[in-house]
Amino acid sequence: MPLASIIVPAFNVEATLAETLTSLLGQSFDDFEVLVVDDGSSDSTLEVAGQFSDDARLRVISQPNRGLAGARNSGIAAAQSEYIGFCDADDLWTPGKLAAHVEQLNAQPRVGISYSGSALINDNSALIGQTQRPRLAGVTCAHMFKRNPVGNGSAAVMRRKALRDIAWRPDHESERDWYFDETFRQSEDIECWLRLMLTTDWDVRGVPGLLTRYRISSGGLSAATDRQLIAWERMVVKLQTLDPEFFRRHTPAARAYQLRYLSRRAVQDLDADGAWEFTRAWLGSSLRPLVEEPLKSAVTLAATGTLAVFGAPPLRAARALLSQPKRKDQ
Amino acid sequence: MSRPVVAHLVDDTTPGGVMRVLNHIVTSKEMAQTGQHQLHPVRRGALPFRRIKADVIVSHLAVSWRTLPSLIALRALHADLRLIHVEHSYTECSTALNVKHKHRFMTLLRTAYSLFDRVVAVSHDQARWFGARSLVARANLVVIPSTVDLDQFRVLATPGPEIRVVGAMGRLHRQKGFDTLIRAFVACEPRDMELHIHGDGPERAALETLAEGDPRIRFFGHSDDPVAVMATLDAVAVPSRWEAYGLVALEARAAGRLVLAANVDGLKDQISEGASGVACASVAAWSHALNGLAYLTVPQSARGVQNTRMAQREQQFAAQWETVISGQDVRHVMPRRVTRTPVQR
Repeated sequence: MPLASIIVPAFNVEATLAETLTSLLGQSFDDFEVLVVDDGSSDSTLEVAGQFSDDARLRVISQPNRGLAGARNSGIAAAQSEYIGFCDADDLWTPGKLAAHVEQLNAQPRVGISYSGSALINDNSALIGQTQRPRLAGVTCAHMFKRNPVGNGSAAVMRRKALRDIAWRPDHESERDWYFDETFRQSEDIECWLRLMLTTDWDVRGVPGLLTRYRISSGGLSAATDRQLIAWERMVVKLQTLDPEFFRRHTPAARAYQLRYLSRRAVQDLDADGAWEFTRAWLGSSLRPLVEEPLKSAVTLAATGTLAVFGAPPLRAARALLSQPKRKDQ
Repeated sequence: MSRPVVAHLVDDTTPGGVMRVLNHIVTSKEMAQTGQHQLHPVRRGALPFRRIKADVIVSHLAVSWRTLPSLIALRALHADLRLIHVEHSYTECSTALNVKHKHRFMTLLRTAYSLFDRVVAVSHDQARWFGARSLVARANLVVIPSTVDLDQFRVLATPGPEIRVVGAMGRLHRQKGFDTLIRAFVACEPRDMELHIHGDGPERAALETLAEGDPRIRFFGHSDDPVAVMATLDAVAVPSRWEAYGLVALEARAAGRLVLAANVDGLKDQISEGASGVACASVAAWSHALNGLAYLTVPQSARGVQNTRMAQREQQFAAQWETVISGQDVRHVMPRRVTRTPVQR
């Protein structure tokens, strides 16, 4: 039985799955398995996974579509390892990622989630010059709620014991336990991490380095952001029964951060109206991001202003300038 | 040999679960056979200056950085006596929800517990947590699930068969989760079911506001007679956010009532012994569970089953205390000492 399992939820990902699996099977730490959970794909996802079938470390399981959370839960049920990592089928792991998490989980038995920073990539897998550099230690519930240091669904490696502590089985579920809430189609990550922090005393800690390559696809954002906001608010409604006072205190600031993130995404898509809307909304919710993260907040506001006044060309030029040197050190 | 004098130190004598267990300890017939149990109220955190005249000292005191000096002084003054601590408060869920600096807190608990010869966990789940977080050396850890005198609950008339009145009892405090229960009850379907809330506390006004407009929900305030309250209920809900043991659930089971309990801490013990667990602390999950009650009838035979299961409760409690007080529970540590003695000579 390997020490670690990496679960790859895969739904219609024929374009990116091969690159993801190559990055996972190329990990420097070698005592692991990769579990591809084909979540009812209708494209050639299964064939792509099949191309790797000569590697004994790869297992593929198939299920009718249950969504990202459902695919992860099936993967957890099928995995036998002590450590369980997640990598979405369009993201990449740098070669030393698993080794770094295994080392932390071995050395610090109280850590339930080990995560790392991420560098963002585009559709061509090129670095776009943006990063997620989260706080790595001293993470409190409030910090998790507001800033989600885990960052994305491909950054975390969890301890099975911690997962066991948040498992439950809804009445209508006859096959296996739930860890991620399958009624969520967005915000399922943060819902899981925050629930773990509010109901158990496991530590959540990061390892240094940008060990995940997290893909940001351009376009099609607006519909997704609405759904994302709704899911996020639903998470607040769901979890607030655990500690109403905590949510009363922190929800306005957390919502402002959430909206600020969406305004950045809109700027990135050169969507001036969207960026303006989200900016007004986050300033209306709470000014705490200005106090807690003045630089990042100011840059976001400046970019939104530039986009509103001058349109897309200056931002496009600035981005071209900024991203070129980054591409070289890839 | 005469019965040992056992002094029970307590720094919070407000009525509640802890005091009811303590009253049981000092008044029950079974416990009297294990020793002369005496209640010693002390001021929280006050340094003891005079030795307590007893053969064994049991602390039911609050552990905090502020009270730690008084616990150290207690140990120093009674270096030769057997010191036992009963942890009535701290659990995994209470830590998750109330403690910001968890490492510092765990260090406090380890330090405080190391002063005692034995630490008593009041539920198996609490003991599991003590073990998993290495808060207490395994050889010093004892599990004694709390109890009170259950006889009066056992003889209550069987409720039902239909479930008309669901009750919730306890301090109206965020710990008890009555806000979730009320929201869930407002959303649940059975129009002829009632929710009776017995208790008082800082959240009362907020809870009454939550329940406004739903005539099915009624508040009764605190009652000194839990048996009389239980007699008016068909089922009992325990939606606590954290709970070291959960006496209300135990009493309800002794009375043959159906129990819905949150799947946290010590309530997990009760779920494994027959209470119905509500897996997830959401309003939807509790609504679903309450809806389910409308289709249930209290099985008239369940009472017999529950009773046989809990008939020995008080005797077991006394027997477990007897071994801890007498020190007979050290036998698994003995062989190591025996083998070491010749070497020292």
